[in-house]
Amino acid sequence: MDAKISPDPHRPVGRTDDIEIRLLLEAIFQKYHYDFRGYAMASVKRRLNQARQKFGCATLSALQDRVLHEPELMTELLSFLTVQVSELFRDPQYFRTLREKVIPHLRTYPSLKVWIAGCSTGEELYSFAILFREEGLESRTLFYATDINPEALKKAEAGIYDLDRLKLFTENHRLSGGKSSLSDYYRTAYGAAVFDKSLRKNCVFSDHSLATDAVFAETHLCSCRNVLIYFDCALQDRAIGLFQSSLIRKGFLGLGAKETLRFSRRSEAFSEFARGERLYQKRDLA
Amino acid sequence: MLLIGCLSSRPYGHQRQTVAAVGRGGIGDATLINLLKKAATDRQLRTDLIISLSLAMIAVFFVISGMISFLNVRTLNRNAELVAETHEVLLGLNNIMSLLKDAETGQRGFLLTGEAAYLQPYEEALPAVENQMMALERAMESQPHQVRRLQAMQGHIDSKLAELTRTVDLYRQEGPDAALVVIRRNRGKADMDAMRGLVSDMQDETRSIRQARLVERQEAFVTAFASVLISAVIGVILSVAITWMISRAATLRRRSEWLQSGQAGLSAALLGEQRLDQLARNALIYLAKYTDAHAAAFYAADGSAYKRAATYGVPVDDDLPKNFTRGQGLLGEAVVDGKAMVINNIADSHLTVGAALGQWRPKHVIILPAKSDGVIEAVIELGFLHAYPPATADLLERASEVISVAVRSANYRAALESFLEETQRQSQELQTQSEELRVNNEELEEQSRALKESHVRLEQQQAELEQTNYLLQEQAAQLEVQRDDLSRAKDEVDVKAIELEQSSRYKSDFLANMSHELRTPLNSSLILAKLLSDNTGGNLTEEQVEFARTIQSSGDDLLALINDILDLSKIEAGQMEIHPEPVSLKRLASDLERAFAPVAAQKSLTLITRLGAGVPETVITDRQRLEQVLKNLLSNACKFTEAGSVELAILQDEGRIVFTVKDTGIGISPEHQHLVFDAFRQADGTISRKYGGTGLGLSISRELSRLLGGTLAVASQLGLGSTFSLSLPLANDWSRDELRRDTKVAPPLPAGLPEPLPERPAIPMPRSDVGDDREKLKAGARSILVVEDDPSFARILYDLAHDLDFLCLVAHTAEDAMATAQQYTPSAIVLDVGLPDHSGLSVLDRLKRDVRTRHIPVHVVSAGDYAHTALSLGAVGYMLKPVKREELIDAFKRLEARLDQPMRQILIVEDDEVQRHAMCKLLASQDVECVAVGTAAECLEKLKDQTFDCMVLDLSLPDASGYSLLETLSQEESYAFPPVIVYTGREISYDDEQKLRRYSRSIIIKGAKSPERLLDEVTLFLHQVVAELSPEQQKLLKKAKHRDAMLEGRRILLVEDDVRNVYAVTNIFEPLGAIIAIARNGREALDTLDKTQELPDQAIDLVLMDVMMPEMDGLTAMRKIRENKAWKKLPVIMLTAKAMKDDQERCIAAGANDYMAKPLDVDKLVSLVRVWMPK
Repeated sequence: MDAKISPDPHRPVGRTDDIEIRLLLEAIFQKYHYDFRGYAMASVKRRLNQARQKFGCATLSALQDRVLHEPELMTELLSFLTVQVSELFRDPQYFRTLREKVIPHLRTYPSLKVWIAGCSTGEELYSFAILFREEGLESRTLFYATDINPEALKKAEAGIYDLDRLKLFTENHRLSGGKSSLSDYYRTAYGAAVFDKSLRKNCVFSDHSLATDAVFAETHLCSCRNVLIYFDCALQDRAIGLFQSSLIRKGFLGLGAKETLRFSRRSEAFSEFARGERLYQKRDLA
Repeated sequence: MLLIGCLSSRPYGHQRQTVAAVGRGGIGDATLINLLKKAATDRQLRTDLIISLSLAMIAVFFVISGMISFLNVRTLNRNAELVAETHEVLLGLNNIMSLLKDAETGQRGFLLTGEAAYLQPYEEALPAVENQMMALERAMESQPHQVRRLQAMQGHIDSKLAELTRTVDLYRQEGPDAALVVIRRNRGKADMDAMRGLVSDMQDETRSIRQARLVERQEAFVTAFASVLISAVIGVILSVAITWMISRAATLRRRSEWLQSGQAGLSAALLGEQRLDQLARNALIYLAKYTDAHAAAFYAADGSAYKRAATYGVPVDDDLPKNFTRGQGLLGEAVVDGKAMVINNIADSHLTVGAALGQWRPKHVIILPAKSDGVIEAVIELGFLHAYPPATADLLERASEVISVAVRSANYRAALESFLEETQRQSQELQTQSEELRVNNEELEEQSRALKESHVRLEQQQAELEQTNYLLQEQAAQLEVQRDDLSRAKDEVDVKAIELEQSSRYKSDFLANMSHELRTPLNSSLILAKLLSDNTGGNLTEEQVEFARTIQSSGDDLLALINDILDLSKIEAGQMEIHPEPVSLKRLASDLERAFAPVAAQKSLTLITRLGAGVPETVITDRQRLEQVLKNLLSNACKFTEAGSVELAILQDEGRIVFTVKDTGIGISPEHQHLVFDAFRQADGTISRKYGGTGLGLSISRELSRLLGGTLAVASQLGLGSTFSLSLPLANDWSRDELRRDTKVAPPLPAGLPEPLPERPAIPMPRSDVGDDREKLKAGARSILVVEDDPSFARILYDLAHDLDFLCLVAHTAEDAMATAQQYTPSAIVLDVGLPDHSGLSVLDRLKRDVRTRHIPVHVVSAGDYAHTALSLGAVGYMLKPVKREELIDAFKRLEARLDQPMRQILIVEDDEVQRHAMCKLLASQDVECVAVGTAAECLEKLKDQTFDCMVLDLSLPDASGYSLLETLSQEESYAFPPVIVYTGREISYDDEQKLRRYSRSIIIKGAKSPERLLDEVTLFLHQVVAELSPEQQKLLKKAKHRDAMLEGRRILLVEDDVRNVYAVTNIFEPLGAIIAIARNGREALDTLDKTQELPDQAIDLVLMDVMMPEMDGLTAMRKIRENKAWKKLPVIMLTAKAMKDDQERCIAAGANDYMAKPLDVDKLVSLVRVWMPK
């Protein structure tokens, strides 16, 4: 609509939009302490526009008005701003590499801590839990599953997924070199699959923002996949810095398929462990 | 009769309506039957009614005739009574007269006699008169004038009687005289006389009345007789009429019963859900049987035509029409008429009756259009051989509607069925469609969900793309920068090249010009040296003569070198002039042979010269240069050949002349073959020492070959000899321009010959300047490897190393450095980053990855700033060029200090011998010595005598567990307790791990990757001892050397699951005098608080609480603490990784006294603890 009115569909509208977005994100930060200011602009813009349409606001300023005065709206908006999509053993090759190359290293530690940053609705956590159980490491591992969206964390903690997604999960699990049947880990009822409670026995769920919060534990493995893509450069650096200081010497960092450390200021601190799978190892002295 | 007709017509109409209703509504057959039954009952009723009415009429008739008779009798009776009444009146009148006479007689007697007995008639007569009078009065009521007469008589009677009574009374009272007086008056007599007249009148009148009444009675008799006669006649007539009527009613009833039962039977036959053909057949069978028909056909309407639906008694081969239309034949006419058609006594009909014994044509035919609501649904034709029952037509007429309705309903049913079928089919289709829809819907839902998901996924992909895009941009930017750098560098290079060219020319010019200047003094000195060596004066000692000879030979060498350099620079500067002339190859060969024969002879080599077939006599070229090249080749061949032969062959090959010099010498390894032509290169760096020479010969030869328009190539096999081939064109255009060009562009080499690889830049003379000490190197000697391509700097480092009593190895390239390091394993390495072949950083990386070299400390020197990378790769130090000498000394001293540390000793405690051995092999290196034991006892034994830098411990030992060993070590002062790396095959529980952590900082579980990690940990450990604590911690330690009074002896409970933080906090506070208790999660914290609560000497003074912990998080634990009264005032500081204000407010809300954000700031934490520590 705006585009039609404006003679130049991009620049002036974009500029107003940008101002509105910045103001809105600032407002969200000041009011709710969710810091999206360091998120990649293009993506945030798209998602905010979606939210705007959903909430029936004419402009982002109107949305801002509502968000400021209706705190319950924030919860919904949060699910717009955070992209909650994942699957069990997403990118099976990543998990296969973990299984084949990283696990043997991890095996040498008597106890392990694994940080799944941006765990979303928990698929990644369960993938790890299953992987570690299959590899016999589960009992000595403590998982930290963190996300900024409390709703997503609740879902993660519940561990209930649509039954029709299981097919994909099973396939992924198989491709990841799964040693058991995925069905060993869930029960089905009412068209949904509930993952075994014991899988999250060794898990701490916590809301934690890579944008504002600090390191909370020393970990052996950080998996933060498809989170950095939503961050701008500075925020990416901050997040990687958190992983760097959380990881033990020679600890492992896993990123999403499209994410890389190459251009980070902190690339020096890591060495590529498995290039294709975006698995990095913290260097000796970093 | 009219009434009957009316009555009979009503049920018909009613039935018609109902049947129509059935037809229209398609009501079931049961209803039809009911209606038919009802109609039959109506007909019965009608007949009954007729009979009843007739009987009732008879009854009425008899009642009326009876009543007439009764009236007649009554009239007769009455007449008789009236007659009798007149008799009574006559009698009564007479009686009264006689009674009066009696009374008078009695009176007279009495009066006469005075005797009372005479009075009796008188007294009796008095009441009788009264009675008689009353009776008369009653009898004569209806006759008024008679009554009047009677009243007049009453008056006379009363006065008579009164006179009588008076006389009697007077007589008694006064005597007979008085009475006679009265009698004498004669009044009594008058009365008597009047009365007699009255009576007689009355009697006359009564007699006349009687006479009239008698006549009346007679008349009544006649009337009664006549009426009886009439009623008898009427009765007979009535009886006859009723009898006729009843008989007629019975006939009607039978007929109607026949019709009814026919109809009912037909209905029954048509009953049920029959198909049209069944129905038709059933109807025919029934009708035929009921009416004794012999053949029948049934045509049902089908659109405008009528189609045969069934036949009865008709043979199969009959020519009965299959169908007909309106007006076609009699059947069609019947349809047009809409009325049954009866045809009797026909000779021939199309209907045929067929049986086994013959076929007959019916005599009578009835054609019946079955019609209802004016529509003819079917036509039935019945054929009779004999006369048919009279009611047949009627029956058929009646059946018409039933059949029609049945046909219609059969049609309806058929239609309905087909509709139903259609509906069912449609419903089925609908079902299918709905199923499909459901599936579609599900698919849609699925798709919509998938869409949603893919939407989100797209979102992610888009973000990913953007990320990629961003990375690409970044890369592009980098590339751009690189390109800019490159182009800048290129510009610089261009400028430099120009400068270089210029300076090169200057240099060449200079060198060329210098030749003379150089040679002149050299010459003189050579000459003088010669003079001296000749010792013409004889005044020199033998030794001095030798010196002079040395001077001379060195001078010769120098001259040769100068000549070579001069040649090369001339060629490079393009100053070499070519003088082509015809050269006799034969002579060339013999000259060369002559020249080298002595050398060959000296080394006992066979020198062969060979001219191939078809080689031309002469070739146009510069003889001097050609000779120079060949001499060089031959001289090299002789030089590098210890035994065997050297052969010079001149051959022709496709328009070229090829000179090959073949030897059986040491040969050149393939990787060095391309180097031999490079200036200042020799196949083996060490060769120069053995064979001498400048290494310029081949370079010059090649340049000369090029000048001559030819190529120089080598083929060689290490140890078997080499073949150098100089290929020259037979015909050459010796124009100047081309010459120039040729000096720059090498002509293509003939195929098969190895192509020289010019990519590596010429490297300055390696050891001619610096040389190194590799020969002197002995095992255990302190040595430094200098990797530096700048000879002067290498030299400086070399000297410096010597100054500091190191032996020095020098490598100029990365490859060389690696090879040297691996071969000699120097004590330390000084590494330049800018090496000609690879970056020094790659060398560093390779060194650190190689088990043989990873322990060697490396100090990096570079012109560029790679400090971070270098250090992260494991360099011990870093210096930026230019470096001051002092800095260098400092760096060397640091390396020295590192090296001066005594040999590291590691104690390996492992029961499995194979593993023990493997571990020793793995860990032992130049500065690490491994001592391996198999039992705890041996271990203790060793530790009693010796100290170790580090101990690698397997937990499962034959004589004691690793734990108990560690316990023992920690408790017994007599044993040295080195730092421990636990190396175990068992899994360790969390508690065990915590227990072990007290003694060991590193626990390794055996597995595929464990050796790697063990080595890593040991290496780290051995090299990390210096800086255990972070600088911050060390600073703090220094600052807080004196213990903090406020914290001395105070107990702090640290609730934290992260080992690193536990370690850090413990290290901060323990030196300050505080005692740290540790809990790994909220639950443990509560337990600890619980346990220590009662013990005053162990009570916790302050709690440091982490938020994110397993089992029970910090906030929950905090709240639980505050729930306990005893701990209301216990100071608790929360340590949170969450930085937002409300996160921290949540800590306060949960009951924390204060909070601190991670990462922990040591100073701040200490002061915070001071603030909250109870005084």
